[in-house]
Amino acid sequence: MPKRKLDPLPSAAFHILLSLADEDLHGYGIMRHVAEQTDGRMRLGPGTLYSSIRSLLDAKLIEELDRREDARLGEERRRYYRLTSAGRKLARSEAERLADLLRVARSKKILRGSYV
Amino acid sequence: MSEKIYAFLLRLFPAHFREAYREEALQLFRDRYRDENGLFRRLRLWLDLAADLVISLPREYFHPQPELAGAAAHEHLRGTPSFYVSGDELPRPGALILGGVLSLGALVAVSILLGHGGSRGPLRASARQRLLSTEARSSAIGRAGPQSDDATEGEAVVSGLSARSASAETAPSAATLATKATIPSNSLSDPPLTTVSSASSQPQDLQSQFRQPRDTASTKIAATVDSAPLNAAEQQRVIAGVIANLKKYYVYPDVAQKMADALTAHEKSGDYHSAMGGRAFADLLTRQVRAVSQDLHLEVVYSTTPLPEHPMGPTAEGLALYRKAMEEENCTFEKAEILPHNIGYLKLNSFPDTSVCQAKAAAVMASLNDVDAIIFDLRDNRGGFPDMVMMISSYLFDHPEYMYSPRENTSEGSWTRSPVPGNKLADKPVYVLISARTFSGAEHFSYDLKMLKRGTLVGETTGGATDVGAFHRIDDHFGIGIRETRGINPYAEPDWAVTGVAPDVKVKAEDALEAAIKLADSKLRKK
Repeated sequence: MPKRKLDPLPSAAFHILLSLADEDLHGYGIMRHVAEQTDGRMRLGPGTLYSSIRSLLDAKLIEELDRREDARLGEERRRYYRLTSAGRKLARSEAERLADLLRVARSKKILRGSYV
Repeated sequence: MSEKIYAFLLRLFPAHFREAYREEALQLFRDRYRDENGLFRRLRLWLDLAADLVISLPREYFHPQPELAGAAAHEHLRGTPSFYVSGDELPRPGALILGGVLSLGALVAVSILLGHGGSRGPLRASARQRLLSTEARSSAIGRAGPQSDDATEGEAVVSGLSARSASAETAPSAATLATKATIPSNSLSDPPLTTVSSASSQPQDLQSQFRQPRDTASTKIAATVDSAPLNAAEQQRVIAGVIANLKKYYVYPDVAQKMADALTAHEKSGDYHSAMGGRAFADLLTRQVRAVSQDLHLEVVYSTTPLPEHPMGPTAEGLALYRKAMEEENCTFEKAEILPHNIGYLKLNSFPDTSVCQAKAAAVMASLNDVDAIIFDLRDNRGGFPDMVMMISSYLFDHPEYMYSPRENTSEGSWTRSPVPGNKLADKPVYVLISARTFSGAEHFSYDLKMLKRGTLVGETTGGATDVGAFHRIDDHFGIGIRETRGINPYAEPDWAVTGVAPDVKVKAEDALEAAIKLADSKLRKK
């Protein structure tokens, strides 16, 4: 049931989609991007990372590219991943959903701030 | 050593995971191990790995297809907002059954709705269905083009002495199929129907001449059926006829006079030798008048079989035939589908008459309304009706846009009827697939989108139809095509006549779709 796995979208999957928004990345690149974009709070371990990647691949939210080297990391060939347009759409709608939630939180005075 | 320990730990994962990602997991471990030095970082690394094992191992075993791990365990609250999505529990069996029943119900409801036409949804859906059902047959349409080009059956008939300049730019290929008749590319608006009704009895090879010098197949065949040499008197009569028509109809009288003078001069200096056959003679005259006027929309034509003296106007029978052909061939919309990455693909093999196909065209365009990019496949499109060119183009702009046509003055008909209500395609990337068989109306579409920088043309240079406008009979075998009005080309001459429209991205026609998909993909990614 791939539908259930991604709906609602787990935060690891959402972070992976966001990390791929700007460029194609290999697994380690994704992990580092996710760590960066969460100020180091989320460090994806291999098990979590690759099972998420597999689910995203199954749902065609990302696609796998040919293996190639990353010059900065030596001569090992790595699988790269790319965001599909469906993945981009889903990430956008998830972000909008979170923004709505944030607005509600603000209206309940749980969180300060005038606009999202 | 550390890697060995982790490799050993990886053996705890089920085989399906190890097969797919063991190497990657080890690679990731090595990367982190290399980059994260120092006691604290190493300790954190091992803690992360331990947490990762604790979270992902059960998932890998409980669900043959691994769950997307929530990864919440790694996330620490620091007074900033965090959102957890709890999608990890398995639903209860009761919920699954209820969900299944509801989905079945919804599916049945949708199929019933599709079957019984309503207003919006069903229109679109039925359009899709019909598209699918005609897909197999439409491949035959594609083949109809080349067959008629070869002029082996020589079906074309010239009629077209009527006057309107806005007209069918070339034979709709479906009509070709249905009636065994093709229509000269330059006959006028109603003549397609006329010729359909009168064609079968009057085989001619005139079609091939209209089909341009670049069309080598037809030229070859033409050579074999060329007529006996003309004698001097016949040549003289044809030249007189050409001159008379030019003076009478050519849009610039001074240029007409110059052409007449040139022809007379050639005649006097004995440039027309007696051994010349009809077709060669017509070609020579064409070159000579073009040399003076620089007007590629001008053509002297030879027909092996007699041209009708009084071409018939449009008949009800002809219209009915055309309508039937269009219905059978889905208005030559061969395929409309949404490719991966939400790229729309429309294969259109002519620009059919809007009076017959307007609703179909609107339904097809609506079915592609939500795509992120659109590909028009005109590789087998032999042209058609300017109204349809304008109608389809209207979807691609959010304001009325001027579309140049060689036979239209700046008039209302030259402006797209944009914006189309409810349409979302106006700002989407457009790719047009073209080939050497892309002709006339399809060149009109391609040329203007290229010049307006609204579309990227992918494939080969197009056929280069002359689109002369009006055809005037000189005698039983000779006629002349003259453009009666002259569209103002904002991009300067020449347009596509004879030379064709060059692609922006040059690839073999058969590779054009693949290339366009790649272009669209990379464009969408940059967004």
